[in-house]
Amino acid sequence: MKIVLSATGGSWNDFVDPRLGRAQGLAVYDEQSKELSYISNGDGVSADHGAGLQVAKLILDSHADVIITGNGPGSKAGELLAKSNVKIYVGAGDMSLEDAYNAYKNEKLTQL
Amino acid sequence: MKEIVIISGKGGTGKTSISASFAYLEKEDAIIADCDVDAANMHLLLDADFANPEEFFSGETAFIKEEDCTNCGICASVCRFGAISFVDDNYKVDPLACEGCWYCSRVCPKETIQMQKQKSGDLFVSHIKSDSLMVHAKLGFAAENSGKLVAQVKNSAKKIAIEQKKKFVIVDGSPGIGCPVVSSLSGANLVVLVTEATVSGLHDLKRIHQVVKKFGIKSVCIINKYDLNEELTQEIQEYLTKEDITLITKLPYDEDFTKAMSKAKCIVENENSQLTTILKDSWKTIKDKI
Repeated sequence: MKIVLSATGGSWNDFVDPRLGRAQGLAVYDEQSKELSYISNGDGVSADHGAGLQVAKLILDSHADVIITGNGPGSKAGELLAKSNVKIYVGAGDMSLEDAYNAYKNEKLTQL
Repeated sequence: MKEIVIISGKGGTGKTSISASFAYLEKEDAIIADCDVDAANMHLLLDADFANPEEFFSGETAFIKEEDCTNCGICASVCRFGAISFVDDNYKVDPLACEGCWYCSRVCPKETIQMQKQKSGDLFVSHIKSDSLMVHAKLGFAAENSGKLVAQVKNSAKKIAIEQKKKFVIVDGSPGIGCPVVSSLSGANLVVLVTEATVSGLHDLKRIHQVVKKFGIKSVCIINKYDLNEELTQEIQEYLTKEDITLITKLPYDEDFTKAMSKAKCIVENENSQLTTILKDSWKTIKDKI
């Protein structure tokens, strides 16, 4: 499974970015290879329009199975993501990436 | 640090007056973000000093380099916004009418039209009378609020709140249900919906709740002017129960509301008003709900 977290940085101690559309970046954890990588959302953060769709594209391009974030996507990104098989978990806005991943594993997060 | 966003969907429900009162009650423990940028007015109630201005850029405007222009007029013929006209022997762009779509720049055979970043306003980190800070913005002519600007206002407020270890960020959210509202909501811990006992109050409450629901954020509600139409208040309460939204309080119609406003004061500055007692209790209840 590939887990994507909206994130402020790419290490387990970094925090979840509670925003999805204008998240600073995405942390991608591959459960098979145990690797954690980071994709910056530099363009999306300051996009005049379509910030949500840009981050949705990044998520789909990363072939994520699960998204962990603070709040869910807005209506446009939500519509796009709903057409894929990706599952969205919310409620991790105050957590570190490590805590958020553990909370997901322990079924403490809410699935949208 | 917890972020509380106050929104209404409909204008005139008392959202900003209530937000300013909560800001006043929480004093230095809350950083304030005014995301109602199109019609920003919380600075009046909180006596903001417009400190630390920072320019804000959003969108682009076409600019014709006149010395390279052959006056072929193709740009003016393709502009859908009527922004390019022939004045004093040259084609010129009216920056207020230009939407920054790039069409003219793409079709110019001489490549003489450049797109320039447009300054749309200024961002301030002001000192306010509740001994705290407020992040707010002032738009330039013909500029409009955007999700990008709201995100900048909110992120700046949050950064200060984290650095100074404050308990709350109180956000006066944007009106409507569009991009700025989505940006106001994103990242919030709790949403306070302010509505009033009118048909449009209920209609817009339902509309905005649809947006909040998509984000999975917990929401609570305040019904203002409930005694204007108690039948409708009943209907609003039924809707709240059905949607699992906690009713924090019902405020009566009271001219202390507008009296405070006309003196540029927060309602809760008037210790003798019945509204002050209710709003103090409400703020306590809201904090307990997070």
